[in-house]
Amino acid sequence: MMEIVYGFIFGFLSSVGFGIITNNPRRTLIPSGLVGAIAWIVYIIVGWYNHGLIMPNLLGAVVIGVLGNLCAILVRAPVNIFYVPCLVSLVPGAILYDSMKNFALGKDSLAAYGFVKALTVGMSLAVGFIIAEAISNKIYPPLKRYLEKRLASK
Amino acid sequence: MGDISESDIVTLCGQVGTILLENGAETARVENTVEYVGRTANLPVVCHATMTGIFVSSERSATTRIFKVRVGDFNLQKVDEINTLSRQFSRNEITFEQLKKETKRVETDTPDFSWLVKCFGAGLVSMPPMLLFKATWGDLGLAFFVGVLGYVTSQIVAHHTKTPYIPVAIGSLVISVVAHILGIVGIANDANYIIISALMPLVPGVPMTNSLREIIEKNTISGIVRATDAIMAGISIGSGVIVGQIIIQSIFGG
Repeated sequence: MMEIVYGFIFGFLSSVGFGIITNNPRRTLIPSGLVGAIAWIVYIIVGWYNHGLIMPNLLGAVVIGVLGNLCAILVRAPVNIFYVPCLVSLVPGAILYDSMKNFALGKDSLAAYGFVKALTVGMSLAVGFIIAEAISNKIYPPLKRYLEKRLASK
Repeated sequence: MGDISESDIVTLCGQVGTILLENGAETARVENTVEYVGRTANLPVVCHATMTGIFVSSERSATTRIFKVRVGDFNLQKVDEINTLSRQFSRNEITFEQLKKETKRVETDTPDFSWLVKCFGAGLVSMPPMLLFKATWGDLGLAFFVGVLGYVTSQIVAHHTKTPYIPVAIGSLVISVVAHILGIVGIANDANYIIISALMPLVPGVPMTNSLREIIEKNTISGIVRATDAIMAGISIGSGVIVGQIIIQSIFGG
């Protein structure tokens, strides 16, 4: 339980932090932090039931994609602005660094192993996004139309 | 819109695309936006965007322009502003002249977070949730400051040199040296955890994922360019860390 609470807090903080570094528009910082935190919780919970690399990352990316598209409609910003900061805690940066360190040390087999791992994580994230786009293309157009109608009636 | 020349429109389209691409938008979005702007200005254009150049061509005549692009850091504020502008333009809320002026403004000055806030952000990224229950709390707290130090170093170096990959290498060198010193002095528990978490702002994880997304969307060239870039950045970070380790070992004899 503690894991989820701390995970939420730190996932939020690191998404907001990366949003600051990449100069996100101010109004998108809080939503992207929330999406990042929720994605991290999903990652933890899926990780309890499935110890592989693929499922937690894939479902985390699906959550980011679906919620990110929702935020993009609500806040009116390009989706990519939400993807970049939310991804930062899932992304295979540390693995890639580790593999490249082994490469520079001359430990080739460890380097190749780490690189394949990084590619696996990256691929599952990318496939997760594709799935999320397919879902949100079906779900969100009615919502968008409703919002536009409400705006027009005001 | 008869008084606007064709080359004017093509040039503006190219500028819009260049700003989008340089600051971290995907190529598919760049192409869409550029073609949208062209269509609204009453000139159907074709746009082909890769990570190193944008080609914009008018469909009516042979007017074509090529723009060279150097992809740099993310600056999503610019992407957002250009997106808003092109939407307003396509709804005819602003004129072509206004769009031109605003594009120039976005290119030269956009609101940015102050230095201190950015350092704070880098510090926050340096406490990744991935290491929460592996590293000790003290190590995570130290990683906050080491991460700020590494980020500031790489930004300062980036101001002074045009050579690519040097900023991240120097930044990770500083991180490695500081973390190992902390480990030897005995303040930190495990220098390796500090290095990994402090590297988070520098490490090319997001470009790596974006490159795979582009490859899946069949923008193969841009995807491969991004992937190579990410791998090169990874190699320079790894070498920076190792050089730092060697320096510390030869000084302290560890």
